[in-house]
Amino acid sequence: MATTQAAPAATPSADDSRRKLSELPWPELASTLGLIALAVIFAIANPGYLSEGNVSAILQAAAILIVLTIGQTFVVATGGIDLSVASTMTLGAIVLGEFYALGWNIWLAALAGLVAATLVGVVNGLVISKGGITDFIVTLGTLSAASGLALIIADGKKTTVIEPSLIKLSVNGIWLFSWAVIIALGLAVIAHVVLFHTRFGVHVLAIGGSAESSRSLGIRVWMVKTGVYVISAALAGVAALLVVARVGAAEPAANTAFLLNSVAAVVLGGVSLFGGRATIAAPVMGAILLTALVNGLTRVGLSEFYQPLTVGVVVVLAAFLTRFNR
Amino acid sequence: MQFRTRAATGALAALSVVALAGCGEDPQSGTGTDGGSSFGAVIKGLDNPFFQQMEQGIDAQAQDSGVDIEIQAAASITDTSGQADKLDAMAQQGFDCYVVNPISGTNLVQGLARIAAEGTPVVNIDSPVEADAASKAGLEISTYIGTDNVEAGQKAGETMLEALGGSGDVALVGGISGDVTSGARLDGFTQAVQGKLNIVQTVAADWDRQIALTKATDILSANPDIKGFFAANDDMAIGIARAVANAGRAGEIPIIGVDGIEDALKAVEAGDMYATVAQYPYAIGEMGVQACQKATDGGDLPENVVAPTAVVTKDNAGEALEAFPAPFEEFENPLE
Repeated sequence: MATTQAAPAATPSADDSRRKLSELPWPELASTLGLIALAVIFAIANPGYLSEGNVSAILQAAAILIVLTIGQTFVVATGGIDLSVASTMTLGAIVLGEFYALGWNIWLAALAGLVAATLVGVVNGLVISKGGITDFIVTLGTLSAASGLALIIADGKKTTVIEPSLIKLSVNGIWLFSWAVIIALGLAVIAHVVLFHTRFGVHVLAIGGSAESSRSLGIRVWMVKTGVYVISAALAGVAALLVVARVGAAEPAANTAFLLNSVAAVVLGGVSLFGGRATIAAPVMGAILLTALVNGLTRVGLSEFYQPLTVGVVVVLAAFLTRFNR
Repeated sequence: MQFRTRAATGALAALSVVALAGCGEDPQSGTGTDGGSSFGAVIKGLDNPFFQQMEQGIDAQAQDSGVDIEIQAAASITDTSGQADKLDAMAQQGFDCYVVNPISGTNLVQGLARIAAEGTPVVNIDSPVEADAASKAGLEISTYIGTDNVEAGQKAGETMLEALGGSGDVALVGGISGDVTSGARLDGFTQAVQGKLNIVQTVAADWDRQIALTKATDILSANPDIKGFFAANDDMAIGIARAVANAGRAGEIPIIGVDGIEDALKAVEAGDMYATVAQYPYAIGEMGVQACQKATDGGDLPENVVAPTAVVTKDNAGEALEAFPAPFEEFENPLE
């Protein structure tokens, strides 16, 4: 996956190259450079960190976060935020589990979960764009409402979903990449094309830049705004399938850490929280970085009490890189 | 100038990662090059004293028998995918044996299946891996060590019979409705008191002290003739004790819980609770490491090992508190 900001070619003059360096898109490069630095540090501290098996494990663990991060990127690119992604994913997983328990084919059940999750996005989008209520409040509301719905539908209980084809999804694959990872990266490629090579993508970034001038240019802002929340929620529906495949069950009250991590990955990816500036590749790298960080900390035996602290420090430091960019 | 600031920030970021990583223990060699074995353990969140004691037990036994142990815990009790990630990270380090306490019956199955496929022993402690899920993934667990919850409930039932002299109305307070552990404890209690005590009501209080207090208050006002309460864990039993005290009947109504947490042992000593059926996460942790040793030495392991439980009443509460978190009485250990 290439970003649109390609690094300029090296020039012979030292003075010239220094000037070129300052023109590099540092915020977008932060997550990739951070990932490389992390890989070097952990590879020194813990031989075997870069072994095929471990790299594959990191990617596998990152797949769910990558999918959620892509959706979050679209929303943040318009200057919004989707706080409901993790609970939308949980709702999708529960709906999947309920239909599976009724004897539906697993893929049909997954489709039902996807539809349920997408509906949350439709509600988010319409209330925000048509209702004129702040995205923060609306998605905070759906965060609670979606997890509440999940608890009601599931009656507070988890549904075991053990299906050979689902196990294959996260165990089989090509070389380092399990099918779940391939799905996540495939979605990233599609998202990149949508963001940079379609009219919709241009409008997303334009609205993030300035909703007012976009409106005066004739862009139907409400449709684009609704669109990004629907994308985010639909991707949460895909993530629901991946999470059920990973833990073998649909659980109504689980995995709340994904919300903060998806926002953190977007920040690491240099996406402006005010909107208007975004890539897909950099936040995806950010998601992999966060996962690789926790994997490495686990391998060197750092207590889980220190892990959230470390992740927080890294996210804030990455935000500094964005801050110093003009 | 601007670039220099950025470079400095980047260097700072890298340094802080190194510094924080440095807080950990030495990197695991994992291959046992120093002659001794090295084991990996993945347990539930350490925000709960139960799992803290389990960690202490694992650590103590590893030190005792001179093996390297690396213990990782989930971030919280709902962190199912995070726990799976941690197991995967450790699985790549080639430990000689793994001790696991999964959050749910299925969340670690995939990772464990890969470990077991390489012939590495897997010892399952406390929460069992779901048998159906394990067989579908081709996972064979070397041994399971945990409390027999039906037996724990039976012990509570027998203790209640003694306390009430063989007859009377009792109420049962369970955990989250549909929970397997809670169900097993209530079933055990019911079996033990069948035909003697009259169970007037069974409610679910979600393992929560505050909810148990509320529900016990309601039960007491609806059924003034209640003679005793059984709760599926100690937290709820302590909540019930508060409700009974609020009703001005402290000490009149025997309350029995399960778990043997420190607060409950103190409540039993003070007479607020009649008894608790203590289980020993500390001993379960120790036994997990013992099982790993036996497995790596090529010994045979029993399929199931029942972890010890003991009834603690006012008579032995002092003794139990003194030995806490280790068991205060000897128990039969097939792994020793």
